[in-house]
Amino acid sequence: MTRRRLNIVLIYAGVVLTCAILLFPIYWLVVTALSKPIDLRVLPPNFWPEVPQWQVFGKVLGDRPLLLWLGNSTLAAAGAVTLSMSVSIFAGYSLSRFRVRGGQSLGLFILTAKMLPATLLVIPLFGIFRSVGLVGSLWSVILAQATLIVPFTTWMLKGYFDTIPRELEQAAMVDGCSPLGALFRVILPVATPGLAATCLYGFVLSWSEYAYARTFLTSAQGNWTANLGLTTMKGEYVSDWNEISAAAIMVAIPVLLIYLFLERYLVSGLTAGAEK
Amino acid sequence: MAGIRIENVRKSFGVLEVLKGFSLDVADGEFVVLVGPSGCGKSTMLKILAGLDDATSGQILIGDREVTDVAPGDRDVAMVFQNYALYPHLTVARNMGFGLKMRGMARAEIDRRVLEAAKILDVEHLLDRRPKQLSGGQRQRVALGRAIVREPQAFLMDEPLSNLDAKLRVHMRAEIGALHKRLGVTTIYVTHDQIEAMTMADRIVIMRDGAIQQIADPDTMFQHPANLFVAGFIGSPGMNFMRSTVTMGANGPQLRLFGQDVPVDRPIANLAGKPVIVGLRPEHFATGAGAVRFTVTPRLIESLGSEKYLYIDVPEENRGAVATRGGEDDHRGDSIIARIMDVGAIPQSAAITLSFDPARLYLFDAETHVTIAG
Repeated sequence: MTRRRLNIVLIYAGVVLTCAILLFPIYWLVVTALSKPIDLRVLPPNFWPEVPQWQVFGKVLGDRPLLLWLGNSTLAAAGAVTLSMSVSIFAGYSLSRFRVRGGQSLGLFILTAKMLPATLLVIPLFGIFRSVGLVGSLWSVILAQATLIVPFTTWMLKGYFDTIPRELEQAAMVDGCSPLGALFRVILPVATPGLAATCLYGFVLSWSEYAYARTFLTSAQGNWTANLGLTTMKGEYVSDWNEISAAAIMVAIPVLLIYLFLERYLVSGLTAGAEK
Repeated sequence: MAGIRIENVRKSFGVLEVLKGFSLDVADGEFVVLVGPSGCGKSTMLKILAGLDDATSGQILIGDREVTDVAPGDRDVAMVFQNYALYPHLTVARNMGFGLKMRGMARAEIDRRVLEAAKILDVEHLLDRRPKQLSGGQRQRVALGRAIVREPQAFLMDEPLSNLDAKLRVHMRAEIGALHKRLGVTTIYVTHDQIEAMTMADRIVIMRDGAIQQIADPDTMFQHPANLFVAGFIGSPGMNFMRSTVTMGANGPQLRLFGQDVPVDRPIANLAGKPVIVGLRPEHFATGAGAVRFTVTPRLIESLGSEKYLYIDVPEENRGAVATRGGEDDHRGDSIIARIMDVGAIPQSAAITLSFDPARLYLFDAETHVTIAG
């Protein structure tokens, strides 16, 4: 076997192994959802149920307000992304374009918010939200998640804006735009892939968030997000793991669909900074 | 259209002064080229002129209007960038009409002007395309089109040909020249390429380290360089430089070059005993008979077909610490180039007799590098 062929075999072996490691939990989630509860306790385990229990999805939708939870999650994530993008576009653009005293330090300081664990921030945030009467409201989660994702979206957008030549907005300004006009008329349309990737990333971060929802929304069942709702399906003595798995699959599907449709934007947006 | 007056413009970044009092009067319809090596401040000056950068001090007038603190869009100038800076999300037509749209012009008038400019630049068939679907030359034309539809007071061009290949660059150089003659719009053009400067400019402004070295028309710049830097920058290949000392011979002042005393018919008797830098352009060497003859064995001969470049060792006594070529100090003080036209085969490593006319010599002060009059 030539050295080149051996390299190819090793690379493929590495790819297959990585995919197997990444995909196994998803596969096992599906197997768990489609199995009868009794079959989940047998040893050796069944790697595919004899009779897949597809009706479990209907049962979960009937027994639990999963659609409401999904709707709340969508609202919270969309709200947090909208809020954080409207801040991050200006912050990222400023960090990319304007050289001001202490600007670099300020940019790095934004990231320190991300270095703190959510559980640390949850206490002061709870105090603030309680004082303004937001505990239990979906707004509390939207605002809290926005603080979580603003550092990410700001730096992602800064990286993307860095790849756009300054001459574009200079040309726009010579053509009669104000600096803000150049941003909206030229830079943002050009940055569409970067904006899409950043929105998607923020959405996924927000969608996966649990600690804030658990703290702020526990007493307001009507506002539960999907992640929070999922955890309530686990009983103290008995848990229907097939139902929990089915619900988990349905919670993961929206994000999966977004990835599938926006994958092209996501890749070009995430790699833009690397090409410079 | 209007003239441009730049009065004592300075620009500093902290302690670093990148423009050291730039003053220039550009006549209405004139084509002025700012040329100099990288980092000399020419692009900074152009950006200040466009309003994209602020001057630390100084004043700029376009026509009779002071525009020093006016926003770029209100200066009524159009700019062509090195990387074209075409809006990638807009079609060619919308790129060209963008500036007019920003000024609130009616759609029909925008379309008319865009079509007219597109005809001039031969890009009519490209109007519906996006920039990424165009070749480099086509993008350059569209960038020019975006500038001319505005019918501005002045064009500012920042190295617009740098991204083109050599052949296309020559072609576009001629096109820009023809366009300027046709439209007669005042143009300030920045380049680091002295050939572009020589071929396109009504006047050249040559810069180094943020300071103007000389302002002159191309022929004057070539024949009467103000200093060693200008002499080395203008001309291709650049002027050769050798070190010598002025001595007084029986017939007046003379210089020792290539092992012989060369009489110099200039009023430099007062410099007797002082070192000078002697400049001689490569094309001022000839083969065979001439006023001053010397025999050398070239270390290298490059043939370009119609001409040959002979690389010649400089005698030890004429070697300078610094040789200036293309505006850069390249420390090649030990060799010079002779450019010989229409000569037959010259065998490598064979001795050859060359000559030059001492009247063609340039003399520069060894310390200040300023041209010595005479």
